[in-house]
Amino acid sequence: MEYLIHLAVLFSIFSILALSLNLVVGYTGLLSLTHAAFYGIGAYVTGILMVGHGANFFVGLGAGVLAAMLLALPISMVLAKFRGDYYALVSLGFNVIVFSVLLNWQAVTQGPLGIPGILRPELFGLVFSNSFAFLVLALILAAGVYWLSQAIVSSSFGRVLKAIREDEEALGVFGYRTQTYKLVIFVIAAAMAAVAGALYASYTSFIDPHTFTVSDSIFMLAIIVLGGLGSLRGAAVGALVLVLLPEILRFVGFTPDIAAQMRLVVYGIILILLMHYRPQGLMGEYRL
Amino acid sequence: MEIVPQLVLNSIIAGSVYALVGMSVSLTFAVTRFFNLAHGAVAAVGGYSVLYLAKTLGLNLGLAVVLGIAAAAATGYVLERLIFRPLRTRQASSMMLLVASLGAFTVLQALLAILFTSQFQSLSGLAPAGSLHVAGAAITIVQLITLLVAVLVLVGFWLVLTRTRFGKAVRAISDDEEVANIVGINTHRMIGYVFLLCSGVAGVAGILVGMDTGLEPTMGLSLLLKGVIAAIIGGVGSIYGAFLGAFLLALVENLGVWQISGEWKDALAFGVLILFLLFRPQGILGKRP
Repeated sequence: MEYLIHLAVLFSIFSILALSLNLVVGYTGLLSLTHAAFYGIGAYVTGILMVGHGANFFVGLGAGVLAAMLLALPISMVLAKFRGDYYALVSLGFNVIVFSVLLNWQAVTQGPLGIPGILRPELFGLVFSNSFAFLVLALILAAGVYWLSQAIVSSSFGRVLKAIREDEEALGVFGYRTQTYKLVIFVIAAAMAAVAGALYASYTSFIDPHTFTVSDSIFMLAIIVLGGLGSLRGAAVGALVLVLLPEILRFVGFTPDIAAQMRLVVYGIILILLMHYRPQGLMGEYRL
Repeated sequence: MEIVPQLVLNSIIAGSVYALVGMSVSLTFAVTRFFNLAHGAVAAVGGYSVLYLAKTLGLNLGLAVVLGIAAAAATGYVLERLIFRPLRTRQASSMMLLVASLGAFTVLQALLAILFTSQFQSLSGLAPAGSLHVAGAAITIVQLITLLVAVLVLVGFWLVLTRTRFGKAVRAISDDEEVANIVGINTHRMIGYVFLLCSGVAGVAGILVGMDTGLEPTMGLSLLLKGVIAAIIGGVGSIYGAFLGAFLLALVENLGVWQISGEWKDALAFGVLILFLLFRPQGILGKRP
C-alpha cells in the first residue's frame, strides 16, 4: 500500500510537470528544454525557507512559485528572439546555467550537499505527515493544475496559443501581439513547475541539484511527446506510463544501477520510435 | 609557471578539442539542417572503444586508436541510416530530428554506462607521457598531439571540401539539398559519407579527451554542447568559423576559470552563446541570413 501511494505521489508530481510543459511545447509549439530549472527553483525556495527560516510549507510554495515566475520572465524574454531548434538549444542553456547556480552558490544552496530535513506540509494544525494525507494534497494540487490548464486551453487565450503554434506570422498580421502570449504562457508554466518542485522537496525531504538537470528536462519532454503534444489527458497518460516504467524494469530483475540506465535506454528508444511512427504521441494533436 | 602564458596555452588546448567537435557538428549541420545531439555520445563511443580494445583486450595502442575511430564513424553512420535518413525522407521537421537525436544520445549514453559503469576511467596510462615547456607554460605530449590533430583536421576538411568532387557535392547539398538532388547528386549517400567522416572526427576528440583527462559516459553532452556553441558563435555551417569559435570559447572559459572559478565554466559557455545569438546571430564568419 505504501508503495502504491509512493507511486501515486510521483505520478501527481510528474503530471503537474507534464501538464505545464505541454502548455508551452504542445499548445504553443515552443520546444523548451529548461522546465527542470523551474522545478528546481520551486523545490529550492521551498526547501530553503522551510529548513533555514522555519517557514510553513504553503508560504514556501508561494515564494517558490513567485521566484520561478520572476526568473521565467527574463528567460522567456530572451527566448522570444529564437525559434525552432535555436529555441531548444538556448532554453537548454538556461537549464545548465540554473543548475550551475544551484550547484555552486554554496552559501545559499549548500551546493552538492543539498538540503536535508525538509518537513511535510502543515495547515491549521493538520500535518500531512502520513503518506496518504500527502497524496491527497498532491492530487488536489495536480487536479488544480489540470483544471487551470483546461481553463487556459479552452479560453480564447488558449486558441491564440494554438494559432501561434500553427502560424505565428499570420497571427501577427491579424494584429495579435504573439510575443506577449508566449511570455505569459511560459511564466504560467514555470509557476506550475515550481508547485511540483515544492511538493517534491517536501515529499522526499531532501533535495540536491542533480534532480534538476538537462536530463530531467529531457525526461519531461519524453513524457509529453509520448502522451501527446497538445493534449492534457495525454500529458497525464505519459506521466503514468513513464513513472511506472522503471518499476516494471525493477520487477523484471535488473539491479538498481542497471535498471536506472535501462530506463534511459527505453526513454531514448521511445523518443526515436515516436518521431518515426507517431510524432504526435499517443493522444496528441500536434507534431513538432 | 606564469599565469598568462599558461592561460593562453590552456585555452589553445581546450580550444583544439572544441574545434574537433565544433567543425564536425558544423559540417553535419550544413548538410542536414539540424543539431545532431547524439554527436557527443558518438565521441564517447570512440574513447570507450579504445579503453576496451587497449586496456581490456591489450591491443597495440595504434591499432586500438584506428579501430576506435572506426567504431565512432560506424556508430554515427548507423544512426544516420537507421534514424535520420528515414526521418528526412518523410520530410520531418528539424525539431523532430532534434528530438530523435536526443533519444539516440540518451540510448548511447546509457549503454556506455551499462557496459563500462558510470565511473570515471582514464586512458592516460596508455598515452605517451611527458611534457614540454613553452614560454614558461607547460603542455603535455597528449595536449600537443590534440592541437596538431585539430589543425590537421582543419586542413583536411579544407582540402576535401575544396579539392574533391565529394567536397563539391557536400557544398552543393549545404546550399540547397533539393537542387543538388535534381542535378544528379546522390544526396543521401553523400550525407551518409559526411556522417561517417564527422563521426570519425568526433571519435578522435573522444579518444584525445580520454587520454588527456578521462572518460565518463556523460562526457558526450558537455563535449557536444561546447562543439555546438563553437559552431554557432563561429557562424553555423562554416567549419572555419567553428574552428575560430572554438578557440574564442576556450579563451573566455579559461579567463572565467582564472577570474571567477572553475565551476562556472558551463554556465559561462552558455552565457557566451546567448550573448552571441542576441547580438551577432550570424556568428563570427557567417553571413547575415
